[in-house]
Amino acid sequence: MADDKDVLRDVWFGRIPTCFALYQDEVTEKEAEPFYLLLPRVSYLTLVTDKVKKHFLKAVKPEDVEEMWFEYEGTPLKWHYPIGVLFDLHALNTALPWSITVHFKNFPERDLLHCLSNSVIEAHFMSCIKEADALKHKSQVINDMQKKDHKQLWMGLQNDKFDQFWAMNRKLMEYPTEEGGFRYIPFRIYQTMSDRPFIQKLFRPASPEGHTHTLGDLLKEMYPAAIAHDGDAKKYQVLIQGIEPLLETPLQWLSEHLSHPDNFLHVCILPVPTD
Amino acid sequence: MADRRGDTWKRHISEQLRMRDRVQRQAFEEIISQYNRLLEKSDMQAVLSERYQSDGPRGSQLSAADGGMRGDIQQEMSQMRIKHQEELTELHKKRGELAQNVIELNNQIQLKDKEIQRNEAKLVPCLSTQIATLEGDCRKLNTFLQDLERANQMLKDEYDALQITFSALEEKLRRTTEDNQELVSRWMAEKAQEANRLNAENEKDCRRRQAKLQKELADAAKEPLPLDPRRPGNSLSTSPENTEAPMGGVEVRVPSTALHVFEAHDGEVNAVRFSPGSRLLATGGMDRRVKLWEVVSGHCEPKGALTGSNAGITSIEFDSAGSYLLAASNDFASRIWTVDDFRLRHTLTGHSGKVLAARFLLDNTRIVSGSYDRTLKLWDLRSKVCMKTVFAGSSCNDIVCTEQCVMSGHFDKKVRFWDIRAESIVRELELQGRVTSLDLSQERTELLTCSRDDLLKIIDLRTNTVRHTFSAPGFKCGADWTRVCFSPDSNYVVGGSADGGVYVWNVLTGKLERLLDKHHSSAINAVSWSPSGAFVLSVEKGSKAVLWSDL
Repeated sequence: MADDKDVLRDVWFGRIPTCFALYQDEVTEKEAEPFYLLLPRVSYLTLVTDKVKKHFLKAVKPEDVEEMWFEYEGTPLKWHYPIGVLFDLHALNTALPWSITVHFKNFPERDLLHCLSNSVIEAHFMSCIKEADALKHKSQVINDMQKKDHKQLWMGLQNDKFDQFWAMNRKLMEYPTEEGGFRYIPFRIYQTMSDRPFIQKLFRPASPEGHTHTLGDLLKEMYPAAIAHDGDAKKYQVLIQGIEPLLETPLQWLSEHLSHPDNFLHVCILPVPTD
Repeated sequence: MADRRGDTWKRHISEQLRMRDRVQRQAFEEIISQYNRLLEKSDMQAVLSERYQSDGPRGSQLSAADGGMRGDIQQEMSQMRIKHQEELTELHKKRGELAQNVIELNNQIQLKDKEIQRNEAKLVPCLSTQIATLEGDCRKLNTFLQDLERANQMLKDEYDALQITFSALEEKLRRTTEDNQELVSRWMAEKAQEANRLNAENEKDCRRRQAKLQKELADAAKEPLPLDPRRPGNSLSTSPENTEAPMGGVEVRVPSTALHVFEAHDGEVNAVRFSPGSRLLATGGMDRRVKLWEVVSGHCEPKGALTGSNAGITSIEFDSAGSYLLAASNDFASRIWTVDDFRLRHTLTGHSGKVLAARFLLDNTRIVSGSYDRTLKLWDLRSKVCMKTVFAGSSCNDIVCTEQCVMSGHFDKKVRFWDIRAESIVRELELQGRVTSLDLSQERTELLTCSRDDLLKIIDLRTNTVRHTFSAPGFKCGADWTRVCFSPDSNYVVGGSADGGVYVWNVLTGKLERLLDKHHSSAINAVSWSPSGAFVLSVEKGSKAVLWSDL
């Protein structure tokens, strides 16, 4: 179990080196140097980029400033995805650091949600947790918690406090012993090559006969093409938290230890790079 | 959880995470932090350099743009300064507030401490005084308890000592009473001995005097004396001077004819007795009744019957006054009636066998009875209880008594002489046959016995020798209770035989004087001579009674 605690700590303190550069068409008074930052994998873009905003506001004229938004190689980055998911999905196999372009004008209304204050992020975060708990415990655990407990979860994430967050989050990771696991596993499968934003379906952690389902069973059910058959070369990479777990890893364990703070297991399926 | 299988994928995941962190984080962490610091520094340098530039060359060299820029920078700087100062003042204020809080809390703590100390101080003396008082009380109670215990112990010891003295005193009392009793009995014995000695002295005196008299008489008899023809029966009466009874009224006549033959009882007639007054006589029989008769002009008129006995009457006696009648019965009891009104006065029970003889002692307040149960009982008439019981050893058939002595004739051929006071046998006389009857002479000096060997004997009580023996060829003693008696002047003895004949012997000659053998058809049980000497009554087994006289 000490290993599991280490896994949780590694997952929480995972960082991505990022280089924020101001879009060259943005009118600047003086040259805006790029800003480097280690972003937490488990957080959200708009939560951790205050320094970025301050840095670039020094260069940009105040009247030109609207809501800040980010994009990578032309794709606007949705702030409501965890940063780790965005990186794994778009820039895993590119050279580090991750180069993000900062915009202050021309907010893409169709692609991105507005995020005018931290309360928006908090609302989104809490609703993800509730949705996950609905799948896991029929919302019993999250509803038994008091408002201050919800606040504690959010503050733990906002202030990067592992112990404060997990003091509450472990309740959401518990399950009645006779069940053997959660009711359904909360997961989202992201792909680059499709129109659907993600795949989210009902999936039990164990079969009715009692077999524990593994990652492979999930993929077989949800995205069979991801599993390489014997003889064929591996076509797809299955990424969770930036690593590729073995296909026999039990799904229940993955949900308990490799979930994001919003209690969802975010799985990215990428085609293997050809070069 | 299959740990062995879990290990591989877990280890894989841990390795992957570590690799990821190494590549993505650790490689860039240092660089990015240094970059950011450099960026800050350069910004700061730019700001400072612009300020110094604006401060240095004052005056006209300043262009509007420069001025504006400098002014901007200055404004920025002053704004920053103001902001910092504000922050500083705010922080100072907060610090002040916190310090005040701390002081206040300290004060409160001190107050509370002081209160606690005060309370403790209050409690401690209070409690200590209470403890002291309680201890004092406890000690006092302890000493009190000890005193009580000592007192109790002392009382117990005293009580034990008293108990011991008491038991010792009791013992002494018992011993003294015993000694007292012993002394009393010894004294009584001594007294009895004295009395006996006196009696013996008296007797000796008497005998001496008698011997002297006899000698004188013998001397006198040698001289021829004219005999008085009118008194044929009274010659040579051996009456000594001791008797006070007037001899004048006694005219003993040997009977010759039967005056009256009558049926006395239904069944055997066992006993007959004339009363001392000589008019009344009583007969007792197996029909449980004592009948009283009066001799009127040669006939026996029935006077009355005394009832109350539950079995046959064995012997009858009148008291010396003739007012009471004592009858012994086969129902183990003796009874006393008053003669005048025929009422039963007393019943004396206590024997365990049939009472064969009962007699008044000479003072008429005591009765002695002899029984088949081989005991003699002495009764006191005032209290009506048995005073003494004497074990004789053999069934007692008849009793006679004098002042000093009770004589009883027994089945074992012995005549026993009892001292009344000493309750012991003085003498025993053995005969040749079972003693059936005893009778005393008028002077109480001679004892007449009848025994089953068909002999009548006269025993001199002073010398204890057999004076005379009477027998006759036809005389047979019929039963164990055949009664014989003296004549009132003791010159004749009369007895009834088993063949129905009445035999009269002369004492002086020792020969049979007369035989009256008609009128009785069965064995004669008892005879009685009237005190006047005129009549003799004999009763038989066959319920008949015959009155004899010589008229």
